[in-house]
Amino acid sequence: MAYERVTIELGEHLKQDLRNVLNDFKKAKNCVSHADARINISEGQYAASQNGILKGSGRDYSLELHTRVIAGRKVNASGYYGISLGPTDIPDFAKIVKMALEKSYGRAMANAEHKFERMVSWKELGNTLWDTRLARVPIHEKTIPAKFLIWPLDVSLDTIGKTVKKISKELKKNDAKLQINDIYLATWVEREIFASAEGALIDQTFCYTQGITYVLAVSKNVQQEHYDCFGHQRGWEIVENGVNEEFTRFPNFRQFSFNLAHEASTLSACPPCPWTDKPVVVITDPHYNTLKVHEIVGHPTELDRILKMETAYAGRSWLFKNFEENMLGKRVGSALLNAYSDPTLPGYGHYQYDHEGTPAKRVWHIKNGILLGFMNSRQTSAIFGDTACDPNGHWKANGGQVVPLIRMSNTVFAEGDKNPNDIISEVEHGYYLVGHRIPSIAESRENFRISARKVYEIKNGKPVRLYRDGGMMADTHDYFMNVDAVGNDFRLYPIFNCGKGQPMQAKRLGNGGPTMRSRAKLTGGAK
Amino acid sequence: MRTKAKLSQAVEEAFLYLSQLPDIVEVEVFASSNAQNVFRIDYKSHILCNGGEEAKSKEDYGIGVQAIFKTADGIKIGFGSESNNLSLEGAKIALEKAREGAVPDNEFVSLPKTIELKRTLYDYHDPEMLELSEKDFIAAGWKILDGAIKEFLNSETLKKLALLKNKPVSSLGLIVGGDMTVVAESIAVASTSMPEIQTDESTFVTVQITAMVEKFDAKGSGYGSYAKLSKIDDKAGKEAAQNAIDACGVIINGEIQKPLSIASGTYPVIFGPQPVSELMSNLIIPSLGADAFWGLQSPFTGQFGKQVVSSEINIFDDAANPEYVGAKGITCEGLPTKRTELIKAGVLNDILSNWYETQRLLHKDPEAEKKLGKDPKELYRQGKLFPTSGFRFNRGGGRGYDATAGISGTNTVFEGTNPKNIKELVADVPFGIYIGRIWYCYPMNGLKAGDFTATVIADSFVIKDGKIMAPLKANAVRINDNIMRVLNSVKAVSNGKKASIIWAADEVPVACDILVSNVTLEEIGAEEAPPTGV
Repeated sequence: MAYERVTIELGEHLKQDLRNVLNDFKKAKNCVSHADARINISEGQYAASQNGILKGSGRDYSLELHTRVIAGRKVNASGYYGISLGPTDIPDFAKIVKMALEKSYGRAMANAEHKFERMVSWKELGNTLWDTRLARVPIHEKTIPAKFLIWPLDVSLDTIGKTVKKISKELKKNDAKLQINDIYLATWVEREIFASAEGALIDQTFCYTQGITYVLAVSKNVQQEHYDCFGHQRGWEIVENGVNEEFTRFPNFRQFSFNLAHEASTLSACPPCPWTDKPVVVITDPHYNTLKVHEIVGHPTELDRILKMETAYAGRSWLFKNFEENMLGKRVGSALLNAYSDPTLPGYGHYQYDHEGTPAKRVWHIKNGILLGFMNSRQTSAIFGDTACDPNGHWKANGGQVVPLIRMSNTVFAEGDKNPNDIISEVEHGYYLVGHRIPSIAESRENFRISARKVYEIKNGKPVRLYRDGGMMADTHDYFMNVDAVGNDFRLYPIFNCGKGQPMQAKRLGNGGPTMRSRAKLTGGAK
Repeated sequence: MRTKAKLSQAVEEAFLYLSQLPDIVEVEVFASSNAQNVFRIDYKSHILCNGGEEAKSKEDYGIGVQAIFKTADGIKIGFGSESNNLSLEGAKIALEKAREGAVPDNEFVSLPKTIELKRTLYDYHDPEMLELSEKDFIAAGWKILDGAIKEFLNSETLKKLALLKNKPVSSLGLIVGGDMTVVAESIAVASTSMPEIQTDESTFVTVQITAMVEKFDAKGSGYGSYAKLSKIDDKAGKEAAQNAIDACGVIINGEIQKPLSIASGTYPVIFGPQPVSELMSNLIIPSLGADAFWGLQSPFTGQFGKQVVSSEINIFDDAANPEYVGAKGITCEGLPTKRTELIKAGVLNDILSNWYETQRLLHKDPEAEKKLGKDPKELYRQGKLFPTSGFRFNRGGGRGYDATAGISGTNTVFEGTNPKNIKELVADVPFGIYIGRIWYCYPMNGLKAGDFTATVIADSFVIKDGKIMAPLKANAVRINDNIMRVLNSVKAVSNGKKASIIWAADEVPVACDILVSNVTLEEIGAEEAPPTGV
């Protein structure tokens, strides 16, 4: 049977093939301790406009396959294979899955032979090479539908194009200072199907709608360029109506874009933020804290980083030197500091199962200032070996043909009980940082510098001056220990471009938190 | 992988058919096939590991069609693609997608046309890489790791250090991580104004390895880039391990001088090839793209022909030079590649561009002369603003059929006007640092403002009285400065060029060491380890 296009509905047929081939594969092969396969089907559409001119639009689909095998004669090792497919491959899908598993198997066996050889030839340095295995997880079969009001594929491409063009044109006309604007909208559906030789069969469908607004405002040779992401796991309705949920609140996309443009325009007439030589009181709003929790809580609590697996790329973590010297169970912040990752929260990083079929659950990283736990995968959980590190379902890929990595789900600072207005009004002199911009973090996440969209100077509890091009910088531990107020205004925001891995995977996820107060050095432009 | 011949045949068949359609004004057909094999390394002497953590690959092929349509609403431009289908049916599907999404972009001038430049680079790929065997792929990865482990096993320094603690060498917390990436790309392209099918094949291997002796916070890096499969060796692994061992301490008069940190302040700094490469990839090359000039984002806006940085600096993109692995014979728009002299002795000479941006600056932007600082048409007559950097790169491997061409560097080179031996640069530093590797280098307040920050993570040393005095403690220094200030404060440049592999970058930067005065450094993590009690 010929297929004209890839559709989300194809998943019904493909998942049976996936399961059947895996079952046959496990029976046929010797020395296989684990095998799994994953497909990702996507259908969607997008449009982009620049300064009121439509630059592109389109509707497309994709189908990707990935397989993993853990096998070996004397010791086990992993092999992986990924491939992009098209409609013409669908009649041969089962054969292709078999081929992919064979490739993964060949790699696993070859890898295992090399590993075993080194266990001997590397002498004492070969002692830590281990027999790859995965921690146990409950084996489920589940189908989870998407949540939406307007199905992304029911919106016409013309509507999407008209929407971005209108917003872009209005922005251009509205303010002479706004020299450049780029407006991008995409709405799409993704169906992720995972099957394992253990019997798991997980079928999750997600709707995504995402907008990116970029603006550049110029005022008397001062330039401000800002961008922000608007997004949720919902349908097109959020573009027209915004989002008004418990944790996620957005105006509609037009208003979102206008708000950002107005900010950039205002900031272009503001003075540059000063530097401080010593730490000062800093209050940070939920949007700023979105990037802060991402960088100094989320990343350093990824267990692959903890186990030094990311030393060459994303770095290590100051929270864990080795099994004898680490901060687990010890104080890393004030008693007001709480943070966790929770895939079940209704944010941009929501899911119920990760990409190895592990049921996703909340993991507390910091409770009352004490370090408690890490995001993990089945393999890292087995290596860590601590029951506090049972698999919690954080192994995720950004697409269907790449190897998953440990990624944040919705990683957040937990809510406190203080009114954010009081957090500001209590301050005699300090600074209020609003909206995140760009991060730069030290290799083990022990120091950070994150720029903000707006920095207000606070005097006697009131904002008195607005600065541009400011931010803050601190040693993470100092910052955590000085947290002395946490607000009751918890918010979740989307992050659309978290990069990790080789090849690099840019992942969508959720971050957030409430208003917080601590101490840090203020940063501005170059001195 | 689909062969070049198959891609050519697909493009020819598609182009002949599509260009005859009544509503087509112009059409471009692009087909590509890409494979990326990655061997990821993870070894620790003190934590369970796999050594060869991942032996993996991804591959794709397909056809992309960009077309100018005559419609009832006027001229529209669209793009569509189809995966895994090089037949005429696949091209028709791609065209339908292009037609459906076509837009009336009045800044669009035309599809690419021939330019006054001849192609110079042919047949530079390694056929063996196109047929990479699983056995060779995995063996090569383990070979690199072997290089690092052997260096550790044979190191007298490590044995001494372990003996001091009365423990085995494995207790020193040895780490080796990184990857070997093998990339194979094939493309074919034809368009209305360039109906002769253009093809290109490129293959390359990059290796980046980080090693540590964690007990001493000592980190070292090793890199490799290879145009031939047969040339892959264990050098990167050995180099990373040796650099990590060196970073444990400098032996002076038989005593180990442990790594030092440095107090916050301004210092003369020698940036090594890797940091210069990071500055290039994240700050300088993005500022030298035609899109950045059009978009007012470049700090070099309006400065064509002017002295913009130190006269010691020369930066060029050397796309057609097969000596470096970023070389390409043609762009993804079918145009020849060339060497583009971006900055010559500190003067802004040229920028990187693709067809769309060059045409926009030449014909559609009334502010173009103000943005460039010179009449774009005059620049073009001088052979500048040429659209020879239009690529469809896939973030570190592959030329995508599913996108139109953006602007990218290939072999981006930074070299000196009067280069000196590195020893002369070191000798010129009364008290400062040599920075061998930086991390997380980003423009903090927008590209134009030029403010950047980064942390110093490895391969770095304290210099005193013109000599290397001690390793710099890893992760103890943050740079907070401005790229224009730094580039205007370059006092000297070394004669030692080295290619670096930058994570997620499509270009391969090749850079030397530069001595910069008054770099602002901040000491970070100065306090002792946090209290361990609850």
